[in-house]
Amino acid sequence: MNRRHALRHIALISGGLALIPSCDFSSDDILAAYEKLKVTASQKELLGVVSNTIIPSGEIKGALDIAVPDFILVMVNDCYTEEAQGKFVNGLKAFPEFAGSGFAGLSAKEREAKIQDGLTLEGDDSEAGQKQKDIAFFLNNTKRLTIQGYMASEYIQTEVIPYSLIPGPYNGAVLISDIQKPRING
Amino acid sequence: MANLNIRNKQERTYEAIVIGSGISGGWAAKELCDLGVKTLMLERGRNVEHVKDYPTTNMLPYEFEHRGQIPEDIKKDNPVVSRCYAFREDAMHFFVKDQEHPYVQEKPFDWIRGYQVGGKSLLWARQVQRWSDLDFEGPARDGFAVDWPIRYKDLEKWYSHVEKFAGVSGFKDGIDVLPDGEFLPGYDLNIVEKHFADQLKKHYGGDRHLISARCAHIHGNVDFYAQQGRTMCQNRNLCQRGCPFGGYFSSNSSTIPWALKTGNLTLRPDAVVESIIYDEEKGKATGVRVIDRLTKEVEEFYADVIFLNAAALNSNLVLMNSTSNRFPNGLGNDNGLLGKYVAFHNYRAQVSGIHEGHTEYTTSGGRPTSGYFPRFRNVHKQETDFLRGYAAGFSASRGVRPNTEALGMDLKNNLLNPDQYGPWYVGSHMMGETIPKESNYVKLDPTQKDEWGMPLLSINIDYDDNDEKMIKDYQEQMSDMFEKAGFTNIRVNDDHRRPGLDIHEMGGVRMGKDPKTSLLNANHQLHAVPNVYVTDGASMTSTSTQNPSLTYMAFAARAAHHAVAESKK
Repeated sequence: MNRRHALRHIALISGGLALIPSCDFSSDDILAAYEKLKVTASQKELLGVVSNTIIPSGEIKGALDIAVPDFILVMVNDCYTEEAQGKFVNGLKAFPEFAGSGFAGLSAKEREAKIQDGLTLEGDDSEAGQKQKDIAFFLNNTKRLTIQGYMASEYIQTEVIPYSLIPGPYNGAVLISDIQKPRING
Repeated sequence: MANLNIRNKQERTYEAIVIGSGISGGWAAKELCDLGVKTLMLERGRNVEHVKDYPTTNMLPYEFEHRGQIPEDIKKDNPVVSRCYAFREDAMHFFVKDQEHPYVQEKPFDWIRGYQVGGKSLLWARQVQRWSDLDFEGPARDGFAVDWPIRYKDLEKWYSHVEKFAGVSGFKDGIDVLPDGEFLPGYDLNIVEKHFADQLKKHYGGDRHLISARCAHIHGNVDFYAQQGRTMCQNRNLCQRGCPFGGYFSSNSSTIPWALKTGNLTLRPDAVVESIIYDEEKGKATGVRVIDRLTKEVEEFYADVIFLNAAALNSNLVLMNSTSNRFPNGLGNDNGLLGKYVAFHNYRAQVSGIHEGHTEYTTSGGRPTSGYFPRFRNVHKQETDFLRGYAAGFSASRGVRPNTEALGMDLKNNLLNPDQYGPWYVGSHMMGETIPKESNYVKLDPTQKDEWGMPLLSINIDYDDNDEKMIKDYQEQMSDMFEKAGFTNIRVNDDHRRPGLDIHEMGGVRMGKDPKTSLLNANHQLHAVPNVYVTDGASMTSTSTQNPSLTYMAFAARAAHHAVAESKK
């Protein structure tokens, strides 16, 4: 186990303890596992709501069930440039203002509509415009990483669409009409 | 540096020493050991045992914390190796990091290295096309570099010898620029690649070919390869992790374990070669001085014959650092040409497009190779305003993708049931011959040294006008061929990559007929020190367009047999 995993577990434990008595995030600790992002527990929870709106739970688990927000933060923390990290975090911080403080309580359809709107936000060079662009950056990257983290998860690749390291021999002329795949309902 | 030669000299004496355990060193050692020669193999890096030391080989995608991507901090610290296509989370432990082994770039050069037992044979692209006399005769015909002292007939049986053992899949295509070899069953081109091959035949009167690239993967004759503990390639396309099946050829899976089984090989990892020892009284090389990678202790080993296979530029470095009264400018360097006339392959340009036909088809499964365009420019005579020519890779692919426009349950269902087939994408990249020039050279930095006290290598290599013209011609010709095949959305690209990223650096210790203008003779012996053989990329007189590893293997096997024959005289 590396330092990252250890830290994440500590953060989860202490976060859990803090939740029991108060159920709010007034203390809102910065999560040490994503040291470059300085995101708080409540921001991570918001990210969870967004990613779980992008891929919700159902018969098959959704993004939040399999800790996709954690994957998103690891990727942004480790694999993004400093500039991109700044845009992502600024977008995450500005999102409640755009989506309304009651975002988490909206219906799935309403949340989807808000995110769809946010994905295409454009802005000028003014401070407000920059905020719009950051929100769009945050949402587009969250969507992309949600899809990646979800599809390339242990759960999907073992229980839903088992992944094989051995793809079988090459067939360079497969008639698409001959391919039959069962429908998987989420 | 304490000199702790506590073991007696006899214990440190062998019949042959092979410096380097990569693709050519592995072959030299295997042949020597098969011929009963007590051989010491020196490798500067750590040991990597087949299967046991492939930590990522069976990891599933989700087991990589960043799903294969290299974290930004590592990229920042290692800008050179981060530009290599295979430097990913699953194989980064097999690459030299920039900081660990610095070098001097007089001009930008991406030097990609693998310091471990097996070297870059773990990481190579496994393409193995033979040279023909149209390649060996190039310098003499077109008046550059010097004439090769060998021809195809000298190498032909050695190509066969190494192909049979390594395992090479391919078809007998009957093309003069690319002689056929000892092939296991080939991998078919897909339906669109075949379409392209047919169109080329139709439009170019049989002068231009698209074939399935010959690759060093086992695709048949299973019983034979079982003797090496290897079996069929499983089409995993995870080769750079090391293959637990031994499905592709590497020193680790093939030549080194084979040589060890003879009982004649001693493998010594963590041995940084400082120099080859030259005895002025005897007038020959007598051994090798090494620095232990971990303890920094100096130790000497002795042998009658020495094979230098440290990889092209490092073989140059070892010779340059092997100085004596007789050879003040480096071992065998009487003419001052050591380190000069270095060349490489020009991979800068790509052409891509879309094929709108064959929409009812797709592909399934995996394959370890793709299409290959043998060289067609200036093959039989000079016909363009640039020298030599280029080969090219080509492939067509089509995949099913999910619609990702929606959100929520619709997105989720689309992701789990991908059903959108895009068009067929077609793509090609050039592999151009570059002309060896005196102005493209490597030398020892006069002051800077590495952690082991070795001088840093200083690299001065660049493209020239010939390369620029060739890029333009490739882009024009390939676009033309794409158009004739009916491909659309044709895009040409020049990625302006630095020399070196092709990982086909060659020369500096070139072969030739005349000791005044070359370092090595027709048998890969230093003209001035015939018990030193150089059989890796350093020995290349010119580069032609083929991926060079197969030729190094044949060189090494041929030279090993020569050395043994000489020792019996």
